[in-house]
Amino acid sequence: MKIALVPGVPALLPSYSSIEDPVADLRKACLAAVTDLGPRVRVVTGQDPGLRVARHLVAEAGAEESADEPTGILVVGNGSAKRTSKAPGDFDERAEVFDDDLRRALLEPLPTALSAIDARLAEEMWADVEGIRTLGELLTPADTAEVAYDAAPYGVQYWVISWR
Amino acid sequence: MTLKLGRHSFADDATLMMAIVNRTPDSFYDQGATWAEDAAFARVAAVVEQGAEIVDIGGIKAAPGQEISAAEEKERVVDLVARVRSSYPSLVISVDTWRAEVGAAVCAAGADLLNDAWGGADPELVDVAAEHGAAIICTHTGGVTPRTRPFRIEYDDVVAAAIDDTVRYAERALAAGVARESIVIDPAHDFGKNTFHSLEVTRRLGEMVDTGWPVLVSLSNKDFVGETLDLPVGERLVGTLAATAVCALAGARIYRVHEVVETRQVVDMVWTIAGRRPPQRAIRGLA
Repeated sequence: MKIALVPGVPALLPSYSSIEDPVADLRKACLAAVTDLGPRVRVVTGQDPGLRVARHLVAEAGAEESADEPTGILVVGNGSAKRTSKAPGDFDERAEVFDDDLRRALLEPLPTALSAIDARLAEEMWADVEGIRTLGELLTPADTAEVAYDAAPYGVQYWVISWR
Repeated sequence: MTLKLGRHSFADDATLMMAIVNRTPDSFYDQGATWAEDAAFARVAAVVEQGAEIVDIGGIKAAPGQEISAAEEKERVVDLVARVRSSYPSLVISVDTWRAEVGAAVCAAGADLLNDAWGGADPELVDVAAEHGAAIICTHTGGVTPRTRPFRIEYDDVVAAAIDDTVRYAERALAAGVARESIVIDPAHDFGKNTFHSLEVTRRLGEMVDTGWPVLVSLSNKDFVGETLDLPVGERLVGTLAATAVCALAGARIYRVHEVVETRQVVDMVWTIAGRRPPQRAIRGLA
């Protein structure tokens, strides 16, 4: 089963499109990762706007959202939104460490660590980890991660990662 | 409606800046600053740099003054048109003239658009546009003679008159063979109008837009702005931009202007508020 992680960035939605796409690289990486999930995609996400972003990406990829016999699983989530002084949540010195730990857990991967993400700290870091926590049940240490995007261009840590 | 201005086509949601280039020694705003051909050419270069899609080259000031023959008018504009054509192939060249003879000469030199500010005073101008595949701007002047000031002109309804006259002119152009997408209407602020008339046309511009013909507005630094704010030429930019915003909200497509950069910002802002243009780059709150 292919699994992919994308961030629930509202700027990816058509209703928020600009003349000059502020998330062009991220969009490209997300679409490639979702396309790779095949025709039937199960979506794992917290609340809006993550769900809307996931549905948009699935539709753009020409796939359909389906929990029955999915060909792939799309998980929506991101790291801290407190990475810089211009970040939505302002700068928090704990944010980078939080994201480093999360990155290690995603890439190794470390299912136990993902399931045990500190919910309170994640909330303080303005991180969207509800979907990511589910990865703890979906991934095994034998899976290998392929990173298509890893940056915090607007002070929010985004990853696009595919596992197989 | 998609706009076809001579060699150039524009999508039906595009707004266009038409920069005024005066090849005159006496126009009200610049007082001859671009009278010399090199100065006029430099003005073209400057407004292209500022993003103007159209230049409107004029050889005769609108207000009364020394009579300029067709030969003299051609001498002022034809060579400049040819020079601009060869230097700026993707620029729309408009020429502000009411004379068919001048229109023919500038079209042969590369003009795309004939801006007849005097509302069809020369009935053959539409034939020239048709023959050369040029676009035409049909203005409302209330039937006044070219280069006269309005004096005690009254309308039952100035907007209805502007719509009637410009639409009739547009249909005449169409019948003469000008392409439908190459016909633009212009209420012509201050032409055959007092300040109250121009203000009403501005306030009710949406009625002109509703005709379906693309609308051009020429507001830049005009007397209706000056009289409204009691400000001389040179201090009318803010008032001009306020009127521009109102016309943009109503859906005007082409803006004939002295100040390209400022007008473009206002039109883009209003067009975006109206939901006809996305923001240039929006990420605030959306990251």
